[in-house]
Amino acid sequence: MSAPQRALLIAARELFAERAHPDGLAAALTFTGMLVLLESLAFGPGRAREPDVASGVFWIAILFAAMLMTQRSFDRELEDDAIDAVIALPGGRDALFAGKAFALGLLMVIVGVAGGALSIFLLDLEIALPGHLAFVVLLGLVALAPVIVVNNVVALRVRARVAVVPILSFPMLVPQLIAASQGSAAALAGDAAVALSWGALLAAFAFVYAVLGLTIVPAAIE
Amino acid sequence: MIETTASPFPQLRLRPWLGIVATALSLLAMWMGLVWAPTDAVQGDVYRVIYVHVPTAWLAYLAFVVVFLASIGWLWSRRPWFDALAVASAGIGVLFTGLFIVAGSIWAKPTWGVWWTWDPRLVTTAVMFVMYVGYLLLRGLSTDFERRATRAAVVGVIAVVDIPIVHLSVLWMNSVHQLPTVARIGAGPALDASMGLTLGVSVLAFTFVYVALLVERIDIERHRQARVLETRR
Repeated sequence: MSAPQRALLIAARELFAERAHPDGLAAALTFTGMLVLLESLAFGPGRAREPDVASGVFWIAILFAAMLMTQRSFDRELEDDAIDAVIALPGGRDALFAGKAFALGLLMVIVGVAGGALSIFLLDLEIALPGHLAFVVLLGLVALAPVIVVNNVVALRVRARVAVVPILSFPMLVPQLIAASQGSAAALAGDAAVALSWGALLAAFAFVYAVLGLTIVPAAIE
Repeated sequence: MIETTASPFPQLRLRPWLGIVATALSLLAMWMGLVWAPTDAVQGDVYRVIYVHVPTAWLAYLAFVVVFLASIGWLWSRRPWFDALAVASAGIGVLFTGLFIVAGSIWAKPTWGVWWTWDPRLVTTAVMFVMYVGYLLLRGLSTDFERRATRAAVVGVIAVVDIPIVHLSVLWMNSVHQLPTVARIGAGPALDASMGLTLGVSVLAFTFVYVALLVERIDIERHRQARVLETRR
């Protein structure tokens, strides 16, 4: 079995597990929806509709939702020691990282689409460039996944993992958060060139962290 | 198998001299910075914070690049010396990043009118500080020597991505922070020669302070490692 096939197998396993017990996805969707609702209360309906505010809150919600979902995914692995079987397989460590990152990316697309639709509906957002917005959101979701998965792997059997993973991940994700927020705000406001340049930066970050993850994660998994 | 018999670094003869040279250079840098260097035409004497701010920034970068290289060294060879180097450099790097932020804040108050502003350079530097505090925290939460070293090494490799972001943030985003003065792409330093020389001596002095601290800190860590590995036998 080739490396991409192994990764796809892990991703499929992850998606099946999430379909059987969608607690991670349910928590992430509820959390994102809740934050969108709270946004209009916190900022007031007028300010909440501003592109900067709406996109900033959306991406913070996505960031926390991704964290919740990934931690739940690794909890599941640890609860029945399923991870040990995967690690023991030849090429299992690479596949674990790539498969988890891929599955998280796909699940976050669901959360992102649902959260985005809710934001558009509840905040009555006007989208000047829908295609550009979809492009930035997709790249933003892809750029978050490798960093969060790497840090979950690093802190896999550490005490206080729930606290350590966000402490490690959030600082590393600041550039992606800025790029995704600014790019989305530009797409909402109608600035195509700015949206595309932030999108390119997100693609670069996704690539860098995916390569770093594939290179060093095999050494980090215990 | 982890070897435990490596000698401390570097050999004993050089170690006392490092401290002496670092102290002498620091005194010289202090004299040059406070007395010899001319007053700035625009900022007056306030600008002299540069002789602390820039060297601490340089050391923060240097320390974290050393963490990166040592982390690769550990992942590659599993020699405990590399782990000792990484943790020693990370601790000193966090210390100097803290000083870098404090010195910048002291400079910002008279020039910008505020101690802190949400500027890209300031925010990315604070993020770098938090990132390496997280690195040290991760180490503190692990008890097994090899696992701790491996986990920390992975974070040490990933976190280095933030260093170019900190340095180039003033070019990439709108910033109230001035553009790079010394390390300018395609141009020489934008400083008066005597100011540049003073800054050079300050950077050298701080670098020696870093090396002297690093050597002592590695020694402490090597003793700690030896104790841990002894108890395992």
